[in-house]
Amino acid sequence: MDICFALVCGSSVLIEGGRHGFGDMNSAVGLMLVGAVLFGIGVVGFLCRRNLIIMFLCTEVMFQGVLLNLIGAGRLWNNLHGQVFGLFVLVIAAVEAGLGLAIVVMLFRRRGTLDAERWATMRG
Amino acid sequence: MESYLVYGTYVAAAIGALAVFLALPREKRPVRGAAWILAAAAIGALVWVLQAVASESTTVAFYVLSAITVGAAGRVVTHAKPVYSALYFVLVVIGTAGLAVIAGAEFLAAGLIIVYAGAILVTYVFVIMLAQQPGNVDGSRYGGALNYDTVAREPVAAVLAGFVLTATLAGVIVGRPLKGVDGPIAPDPENTLAIGRLMLSEYSVSVELAGVLLMVAMVGAIALSRRKVASEVDGDVDAAALGESGRKAKPF
Repeated sequence: MDICFALVCGSSVLIEGGRHGFGDMNSAVGLMLVGAVLFGIGVVGFLCRRNLIIMFLCTEVMFQGVLLNLIGAGRLWNNLHGQVFGLFVLVIAAVEAGLGLAIVVMLFRRRGTLDAERWATMRG
Repeated sequence: MESYLVYGTYVAAAIGALAVFLALPREKRPVRGAAWILAAAAIGALVWVLQAVASESTTVAFYVLSAITVGAAGRVVTHAKPVYSALYFVLVVIGTAGLAVIAGAEFLAAGLIIVYAGAILVTYVFVIMLAQQPGNVDGSRYGGALNYDTVAREPVAAVLAGFVLTATLAGVIVGRPLKGVDGPIAPDPENTLAIGRLMLSEYSVSVELAGVLLMVAMVGAIALSRRKVASEVDGDVDAAALGESGRKAKPF
């Protein structure tokens, strides 16, 4: 019970301490920078991993970068539209994950492996 | 003043590229320590750039969460075992949610944890466990990991492409002045309340469309998973039985 109280108090301090000074334009730059770095790391993973599920996971890392970028853009323009856009991106990410994993399971059933190189039949 | 920030960003991206390249899985891994040191250096350079562009009262939690998120994302990409990648991705989601809380987006942070870490990641772990193959248990370094997990394809090209993109994006974000509305934060007593008002008034059609999209996705996933897929693996009875499981598993 005391731990919960301390957690709530600590998190409210974090929130309040962050909110009062987090309104000018510089704070959004940091968020967008972290978003860009996450996006780039996701691109690296998507291009060089051969496991189909890990390739999908790297697109999810790219989604996290996009979410941070949207929140930063909302901070830039000082309204909530960035966050609402982020919520819809979250919905799309959930839809994409569900359908994409269903397709991956079908591909696995056909070839018996998760290797993306097995599907290189169009290579000349 | 801004040009050294941009060059610092490029240097950070270069160090990060080298760190990820060294940490990617390959047949022999003699330089693992160097990968860790370079990764620490790259994250340190990123934190330096972040504190150089930050406002006066950015808390320490922002830098700590950024470092954790970027480090965990690097680990998602470079780990050889899929389950570990999924678990490190949970850490990325928690870090992103923490950054959203710091930026005042509390509802989005809670939604991230509930939907991403709670639903999407659990689905990923299920599918990873479901689509498992028995690996080569020859006592090698990864003791059962499969070849397509332990060897990255074309690591040089992938790291170059990804980190040139990162350096360009980051250089533009840091170097150019971004257009926006400067001033005090709009009074925001309850983030959830304000987002609820916005979603029911201005974005109500989008919410309905999102609901329809979710239903379509649910029907589509069920239809896909119940489809009978002819297995093309010849000579393997178990793999042929795998293809039948979609039809035999009755949901009710």
